[in-house]
Amino acid sequence: MKFKADEIASVIQKEIEDFRGQIQTAEVGRVIEVGDGIARCTGLSSAMAGEMVEFSTGVNGLVFNLEENSVGVVILGDYLQITEGDEVKATGTLLSVPTGDALLGRVVDPLGNPLDGKGPIMTSDSRPVEHLAVGVAGRQPVKVPLQSGIKAIDAMTPVGRGQRQLIIGDRKTGKTAVAIDTILNQKGTGVKCVYVGCGQRSASIAGVVETLRENGALEYTTVVAASAADPAPLQYIAPYAGAAMAEHFMYAGEDTLVVYDDLSRQAIAYRQLSLLMKRPPGREAFPGDVFYCHSRLLERAVKLSDELGGGSMTALPIIETLEGEVSAYIPTNVISITDGQIYLEPDLFWKGIRPAINVGISVSRVGGNAQTKAMKKIAGSLRLDLAAFRELEAFAQLGTELDAATQQQLDRGYRMVELLKQPQCAPLNVADQVIVIYAGARGYLDEVPVAEVQAAEVKLLEFIATEHADMRDLLIDHAALSEEVESKLKSALSAFRTRLAS
Amino acid sequence: MSEPMRTRADHVLEDPGAKAVASLYAQSYLDAAASNGAENPAEELHSFIDDVIGQNPDYRQALCSGSLGRDDVMGLLDRTVVPHCSDYFANFLKVLAGHGRLDLIEAIGAVATELLETAAGQKRVEVRSARALSDDARRSVSEQLRNKLGFEPILNELVDESLIGGLIIQVGDTVYDSSLRTRLKTLTGRLTERTFNEIQSGRDRFSHPEGD
Repeated sequence: MKFKADEIASVIQKEIEDFRGQIQTAEVGRVIEVGDGIARCTGLSSAMAGEMVEFSTGVNGLVFNLEENSVGVVILGDYLQITEGDEVKATGTLLSVPTGDALLGRVVDPLGNPLDGKGPIMTSDSRPVEHLAVGVAGRQPVKVPLQSGIKAIDAMTPVGRGQRQLIIGDRKTGKTAVAIDTILNQKGTGVKCVYVGCGQRSASIAGVVETLRENGALEYTTVVAASAADPAPLQYIAPYAGAAMAEHFMYAGEDTLVVYDDLSRQAIAYRQLSLLMKRPPGREAFPGDVFYCHSRLLERAVKLSDELGGGSMTALPIIETLEGEVSAYIPTNVISITDGQIYLEPDLFWKGIRPAINVGISVSRVGGNAQTKAMKKIAGSLRLDLAAFRELEAFAQLGTELDAATQQQLDRGYRMVELLKQPQCAPLNVADQVIVIYAGARGYLDEVPVAEVQAAEVKLLEFIATEHADMRDLLIDHAALSEEVESKLKSALSAFRTRLAS
Repeated sequence: MSEPMRTRADHVLEDPGAKAVASLYAQSYLDAAASNGAENPAEELHSFIDDVIGQNPDYRQALCSGSLGRDDVMGLLDRTVVPHCSDYFANFLKVLAGHGRLDLIEAIGAVATELLETAAGQKRVEVRSARALSDDARRSVSEQLRNKLGFEPILNELVDESLIGGLIIQVGDTVYDSSLRTRLKTLTGRLTERTFNEIQSGRDRFSHPEGD
């Protein structure tokens, strides 16, 4: 494509003719101290907390501390070019990020600058990064499910739209995988997703972007990337920026999902800033307001009332623990803020139980109301059955002889554990989950050897999709296990059992 | 004695905390002078800074370095300055010495000048221009500032060729920028943005209908 030079020239000429250079008035100060991503400035006597300032190098900063004789500014960019004595200009605006449809499918930094080489982001919408959460009157209870596509989660720790569900676990236990699978499962549901990579390795974030792209999920997802190489201020504001981008859709009445991966790194970045700003350290050297740092972020996840459009923001914060230590400062804080947690265990992970969810201590405080009727009916006793199985399993390891009923319970437990395993990036429709769990819990797979259960599951789903599609469609449409559907399901499963045996 | 050790470059601003303390002392000094009926209190202070301390760096060092105890500093002041100055100024110096704040004397002098100027309805204004201001321009700038901002400006003129043209006027923390450099920068930004917008939003508008 060629541009018509004369037309472009006329546009430029018109712009120059219309340009009326007005006197710019600004409040300025000077840098008296700079280093480690922060600057102390004099002047700026009417600066506001959270106001954006601009250094003479063009880098932006955020007013963080208002002191008696100076202003502490965190530098959102390259701080090595800023020197003592540089001018710093107050902009009179709060830190904002671009928002809107133009951000979907893009990888941006926490200030909304594109990082994916796909050109500038053409949007005129923006939202302040820090925004007060909706009050009590503007909310409604969580009652619509947000399907994660993961059997163990949708059955036992269901997540509803507007819920804050923590994903917690040691390193390398599949925390990000759970979050990514949940994003993948939103395909076609109209839920807009934001993935905030905060303090992660750049390679990990690139991997996430690639996974999303390969599975066609990037088109409804925005990735906000603040890698470990980015300055601490950017890592600190990244989750707030992600929340602001999701809020744009939420206040337009749409459903959104935000993944904060991970908040322990954000807390560490915030601790770094606070210590450099000479705020007093508290437990584990975190500042006193680190709880508020997370609570005000997670309070922004909400199911809005119908008057406000009924949009929702579901938050999946991730916390990394050290050696399973959930009683450390940040994990306990975030556990107490969220509406439940999915606890991932390295032992289960290495045993091959993936996702490595410890169903015993994972809970969802509000998601139960959001479960579909069908899932609620079949999964009601699943958690207790599995807990009973774990006890029996421990008992059976002693080599005791067991009666037939106990042995059968144990065998079914082994099969259920196998059934709840799920490969990565393979989220299941909730109807399929219901069918699989029903088959396992009601003993239709009892004759299948434990090692072949997963293969049988695949065959079962194929069988249902090809030969009993009407029943599956009914289950999808009604989302309830009515007598009619249940009898059809039973006959289908019996037919499958017979075919498997032959 | 060698020159005092310098830990900061000249262009770096003074510690804002020290300036706040100096403001307190300067205001107190001026109040004390007024209650003693002094006509020009800043004169004695500046004379002390310029003629006594400025001319005798070793003397300043002895007073401010902390190598002498407070009683010794008081004694030194009694023997050297007190016989030659007014009572309230002597008391002021002793209060400073008693509080270990004699090293702030220059800052106090600067703040006192500022306070007196403010009291007289004057304010310092920094005017940056690409070329030295002519008398007419200077008069016009002063006149305009007087009319718009309501005080008598004391112009502090600086020449900065990188402005290309126009003026930058700074009053306190507020900067009024009408320089050509800034206008060109704004125009550049706006043109880039506009061109981006045009290209992105209507690519076809500028392309030849018959193809490349």
